[in-house]
Amino acid sequence: MKRFAPLALLTAALLACQPATAPSTREHLVVSGAPYERGLAHGTQLRSKIRGFYTTLMTNSLFPFLSREQPDIATLLKEYEGEKYLGGRFAFELLLESGRSIERSLGRAGRDELRGIADGSGLTYEEALILNTFVDTTLAVRGIGLAIRQGRAPVVESVQLLGLEADGVDNDGDGQRDEAGEGTLTPYEPPFFAAAVEVDVSTRLRVVFSDPDGVDPQTVRVRVDEGLFTFGDPALEVLELSPTRVQVTWTPLTPLPAARPVTFVLSAGDRRVIEVPGPPRASFRRDEELVVTTRGAGLGVRELSRPALTDNRTRPPPFTVAVRGGRAVGGGPLLAHSFALLDANTAHKHTVSILHQPDVGPAFVTVGWAGIVSGLSGLNERGVGVSCNPSDTLDNSVVGSVLDQVADLSRAKLVASGLPATYLVRRVLERASSAAEGAEVLAEGNPVYGWNCTVADDRGGLEVVELDSDVFKQGQGGVLRYGPADLSPVSMRRYSSLTDDDVVVGSSYTRNVDDSITLNLAGQRIVPQRSWSGFFFRSRRVMDAVTRRLAARAEPVDVDWLKAVLVEPELVDRSDSMNAVVLDLRGRVVHSAMGTVPATSSPFVATEVRR
Amino acid sequence: MTRAVALALVVAAAPALALETQVLPRGAISLDLAYLRTSLDKQWSGDRRALSLIDELPRYEPGGGLQGILRARPVAEFDFLLVQALYGVTDSLSVGVNVPILMRSTISTNIAWEPGDYQPQLGRAYSLDDFWSWAQSMGQGRVPDRAVDTRFRLADVVLGAKYLLPRFEWMKAHHVRWSAQLNVALPTGTNADPEEAVSVGTNLWELHAAGDVELHLAADKHFFVDEHGVYRLNVGADVFYAFFRPRLYEAGRGLRNPLLNNNAFYVGDTYWIDPGDWLAGTVSVDAVPLVGPTLATIVSGNSLEKAKALPPLLTVSASFTYVATGQSDWQSNSALWDWDREKVWQPGEKNVFRFTGTVSLLRLGLPLQLYASYRSQDIIPGRFTRPANVFTAGVRAVAKFW
Repeated sequence: MKRFAPLALLTAALLACQPATAPSTREHLVVSGAPYERGLAHGTQLRSKIRGFYTTLMTNSLFPFLSREQPDIATLLKEYEGEKYLGGRFAFELLLESGRSIERSLGRAGRDELRGIADGSGLTYEEALILNTFVDTTLAVRGIGLAIRQGRAPVVESVQLLGLEADGVDNDGDGQRDEAGEGTLTPYEPPFFAAAVEVDVSTRLRVVFSDPDGVDPQTVRVRVDEGLFTFGDPALEVLELSPTRVQVTWTPLTPLPAARPVTFVLSAGDRRVIEVPGPPRASFRRDEELVVTTRGAGLGVRELSRPALTDNRTRPPPFTVAVRGGRAVGGGPLLAHSFALLDANTAHKHTVSILHQPDVGPAFVTVGWAGIVSGLSGLNERGVGVSCNPSDTLDNSVVGSVLDQVADLSRAKLVASGLPATYLVRRVLERASSAAEGAEVLAEGNPVYGWNCTVADDRGGLEVVELDSDVFKQGQGGVLRYGPADLSPVSMRRYSSLTDDDVVVGSSYTRNVDDSITLNLAGQRIVPQRSWSGFFFRSRRVMDAVTRRLAARAEPVDVDWLKAVLVEPELVDRSDSMNAVVLDLRGRVVHSAMGTVPATSSPFVATEVRR
Repeated sequence: MTRAVALALVVAAAPALALETQVLPRGAISLDLAYLRTSLDKQWSGDRRALSLIDELPRYEPGGGLQGILRARPVAEFDFLLVQALYGVTDSLSVGVNVPILMRSTISTNIAWEPGDYQPQLGRAYSLDDFWSWAQSMGQGRVPDRAVDTRFRLADVVLGAKYLLPRFEWMKAHHVRWSAQLNVALPTGTNADPEEAVSVGTNLWELHAAGDVELHLAADKHFFVDEHGVYRLNVGADVFYAFFRPRLYEAGRGLRNPLLNNNAFYVGDTYWIDPGDWLAGTVSVDAVPLVGPTLATIVSGNSLEKAKALPPLLTVSASFTYVATGQSDWQSNSALWDWDREKVWQPGEKNVFRFTGTVSLLRLGLPLQLYASYRSQDIIPGRFTRPANVFTAGVRAVAKFW
């Protein structure tokens, strides 16, 4: 036996090399003390992940991506042609300048915590500042870019559902039948609800697109439920009315399905091909969605629920659903949040829940990412929970900075200011003892960008706060609040609730529908969210999808039911899902799924909010 | 596409000598020149499935969802020149040196594209050209479809010594020999270029050819041995342990590929790879279908008797080697980054078949041997390894100084 000892040793040595195991993509930290100490603990414990997250998300993804906007922006704002912004530094400098502006709103505690993260992780303070402010700044800059791009894309001049003026039915819910213009949307305004109801199954659709560069008929696209109709299809007649206007008429070759909603999706591109930055492309109208019901559905204009779309062109945006009282098991309250925005194949590897135990104020848990002081949802030990969803608006601080400099655009810059949403969430968790107090904190927050936040407490307090930067001074201070029981003065219906004890919040405004005034600024058209945001129709649809499920649930809602809703494929963004959270306000438990993309591929993990 | 293609080739153990225990007579010298053509197009998964050498790479538009999935099926082909020299120090001890030179590498990336989410700003989903155009707008050049490198590059030089162990009487009676061999590699090879999107190093770990230090214990048994000691059939076995030293690599700074090879900030300026060791065993069969003709020539000192003791005219060999590979361990500042690499280098195995034909002209008066071999790792799928198939052709000159 002895002679085999060397071989046995060699074998043992090889077998001792155990297979490597995958590191966790979600972390949990407990940090205590003063803000700097908590930041330092965060930075030190997640040093590797913070540096990795910064490199893979910022350096290798977002900086070069945002830098693509430089040529477009520099045509309007000449300052960005300067040497400081050349050599690939445009995005970094732009985000840093905004970060420094935002920094003034963070307060000493906020700055101290950032300094702690920087010291612990090895990031520079500026890098930590950018990591904690880029979301809002980027949303604002991208929002402007998107609005500019939509501004040069074909415009829907008019939409006409032919024959509605003589069908003997009130198709638009105005109490009149067959009045002049019934079935015609001119000028076209993207509808919040149904474009028409009770239309005949043979109804034809006519749309006029216009664009100064000409509308390319080859790019016209009409989707009707599952059917796609493009140039050359016998159902689609494309007529060039003039060099800048194209009329598209869709005729159903087979009748529309009876007694149900039908979704039309319209888009078209112009004739001018943009070469730089690549890839070469026309300017495309976003997908405009019109939903109608066919005769027999029996639904009013505002009763329609948008059906799911399955054409791989749309993804559900962030949403929140909250229940209390009779709608929740044991009275709840419960708040569920699905957050999807920017994974870029990296954010999901850097997720973290942090239990903060500050020297002063309540303990709280945030659900976020390595190096970022907070998240878009959280719960404190006083039983106050909060979640925020982005809501595109041109009433944002970056537009405000341009307005402030409009007298000399040659020296103007895009500079964000105010509080990022993650800091809004933090302040609610640090300060609020009730939903009402949380709403007050949000109202005082002066956000960088548009957000829809939902605050709830363990006694049943529940409020939605829709925020913008109020750069147009429209009289609401950029804050519009509502609860489940509040009624819209226009429709006399709840804003986004089925009962007094539930609310569904998406990524579009429900009350702040005229978030922005309409004006021309330096040749660019500023319009409300519904006219340009890529979130608008998606948000309306996801809100309807969640509301349908809530309506179908006869029994009180519990944590498991909410988890099940969050993981439903129709409600999950498979590319950019970042986390899914259920807050049990009374139990002081945060249930979070994250660490994968979509986040809902991971199991929910419970975290107690306890000192 | 984001990483260098780490390759598994086989260059070190060329079939210089057919038998596991072969040594040269005292004073004999063998010079061997071989050409190796190596091709590699897949890696084995943990469940023995053939996967692309590079994981599929989903690409995302920040906030805009999935642009598409890059699927590369790279094929790497390498041309090596292998120079070997063996010297018989005694009748029982031979020493040698093995010098592999990479003459040419050709990597075809064979990139395919699966479109992802609809991109409203484009009015379509990204095509492959759209994707590269997008990447170029951010300073990242297109990865070439085919990368050819014709620079001559030295791989790790291997020094070896083989000792024919003293035989017991029963071994002699049954024509059994056994030997021990020690190989030690000199770090003359190179690491993959951290700044290149497609690159290959020439050290033994990247070539996955042999260990830095190998200890072999081998045995042969001859059958049908004639009065001159020439066998017609041989069965051999070899067990060896291969040790790999940890290696230091530099991380990329994105100097040439800013989006693909930029990781030094979080990985660290340098990182280590501890490749993990191997434990292996070989069984082989050598058959001699043709011994002669045999001539008394200068090679045999004009002695027919001596000529009949020279290697037979034709030997055909087949062998099977099982290699158990250990876990490779990346050690950088980022456990996530490490795991992305370690997951495809978990404890695994290679199943290597080799078929060799050797024509020895010594009996005809020419001190040359010609050989060709084919080595395949495809016949029995392995696990967590990269199967390189190697064709070798070589010529060996044998001389003895009296």
